[in-house]
Amino acid sequence: MTAEIIVVTSGKGGVGKTTTSASLATGLAMAGKKVAVIDFDVGLRNLDLIMGCERRVVYDFVNVVNGEATIKQALIKDKRHDNLFVLAASQTRDKDALTQEGVEKVLDDLSNDGFDYVVCDSPAGIEKGAHLAMYFADHAVVVVNPEVSSVRDSDRILGLLSSKTRRAERGEGAITQHLLLTRYNPGRVALGEMLSVKDVEEILGISVVGVIPESENVLAASNAGVPVILDDNSHAGQAYRDTVARILGEERPLRFTEVARKGFLQRVFGG
Amino acid sequence: MTEALHSKMDTSDACDLRFGQVGIACVRVRRVDAAALCEELERRVRSAPQLFSRAAVVLDLSHLLDLPDDGTVDALLEAVRSAGMLPVGLAYGTSATEALAQRMGLPLIAKFRAAYEPAEGGSIAPPAPAPAAAPAPAPVREPIHAAPPAGPALGAQHHEGTVRSGQQVYARDRDLVVTGAIANGAEVIADGSIHVYGGLRGRAMAGAQGDEKARIFVSDFRAELVAIAGHYRVFEQIPKDLEGQAVQCWLDGEKLMIARL
Repeated sequence: MTAEIIVVTSGKGGVGKTTTSASLATGLAMAGKKVAVIDFDVGLRNLDLIMGCERRVVYDFVNVVNGEATIKQALIKDKRHDNLFVLAASQTRDKDALTQEGVEKVLDDLSNDGFDYVVCDSPAGIEKGAHLAMYFADHAVVVVNPEVSSVRDSDRILGLLSSKTRRAERGEGAITQHLLLTRYNPGRVALGEMLSVKDVEEILGISVVGVIPESENVLAASNAGVPVILDDNSHAGQAYRDTVARILGEERPLRFTEVARKGFLQRVFGG
Repeated sequence: MTEALHSKMDTSDACDLRFGQVGIACVRVRRVDAAALCEELERRVRSAPQLFSRAAVVLDLSHLLDLPDDGTVDALLEAVRSAGMLPVGLAYGTSATEALAQRMGLPLIAKFRAAYEPAEGGSIAPPAPAPAAAPAPAPVREPIHAAPPAGPALGAQHHEGTVRSGQQVYARDRDLVVTGAIANGAEVIADGSIHVYGGLRGRAMAGAQGDEKARIFVSDFRAELVAIAGHYRVFEQIPKDLEGQAVQCWLDGEKLMIARL
């Protein structure tokens, strides 16, 4: 039994990769899977904050790659789920501290430790850090915002995923590509200020695995160190639950992609 | 503030220094024989004088087993000159090439066509036809490849699926059929015609070796640029009557025509 490796990537920065990685890993853990989530953004470590474990980081990814700590020492157990572990990035190093062999060994060790899924939170860009995050992946979640620059960068990433990964190089078949549209605002789409789901699917030629609505809860959850998927009252949290279910093979209709009609009371009192 | 004022007043800079992309031909030397090289190039200049006469070329020595000595390189450069072309530099190679370029007082030009170069290599590379009647220097990065002697007809090259931003597909000496879309920032190039059965949002360049009969067929037209035999059109705004339509592009003399199918 080998672990399935999922890279969360986008090319462009600030589109919601880390938010997605945290929620995806948590969602998979909630489904009973044993999950590790790794922050590949060496030098700009964020995942630990979103996961709410920043004060428990002792050893990090670079320590493990350099053999200064074992993977067991460096994995931080999530305080909410026993089967979810975080491997933090190093804040004091840069991306050159990672090597392909080192990353491969860490992933192999996790696989041998009985992990079902390893979620790799890629840094922005298409340079070394992003390359290493995607190289060993079996699945990719490409995070895209409904705007043209993000869509173009995602297109570039989709191209790299189909050529610059181990599976592609070994001819083991394409890695599974999931397109995740985040920060979606149906109201602005209706006004023509934002690309629609259909626009993005048409430009990129693949269909979305989920649409996460723009939501204030995402920022609040990030600041609180709680992955937004745990906020069952927020649309973003529910949309992430749907997305994780779809990645696990379930069929669910898209939600929150139409302008919500406000009821009378909501119109009067806001909401 | 004073700095800004000063720069505003000072309009007499001696020059602007910019990097830009220019079309340039690469002469890949396959054997050290100045006379044969001169003859071959002369033949090509004669066949398309408006294209090759006084064309700037880069000498690529990387396909020779051993780097020739300075005198031989001089003879090769002279052969290029006497054929009517203007050698402007050496193609990037090993550190020995670098040293050679320094001794010759020539610049080293990076290996700019690597993405298109098939493993088996080509023969002497003619430049892509220069865009005629163009309002601006061509942004077209044409593939620089040799047309080998006419051989048996090759079938079209097929590309399954989408050509993503940043990717290039080149069909050498033949037509290209793309069954997916071509994204913004992607390029498809063929020495023959190009058929696109998805959306064309990027660039398509047919007749890259100068075949003016090449055509481009697109089932969903949203191109950034189309070119045939170096004649090109860029689309800052896609004409409303063509956008999303099935179109074909062809050359009528020097004019690149586009019409709905």
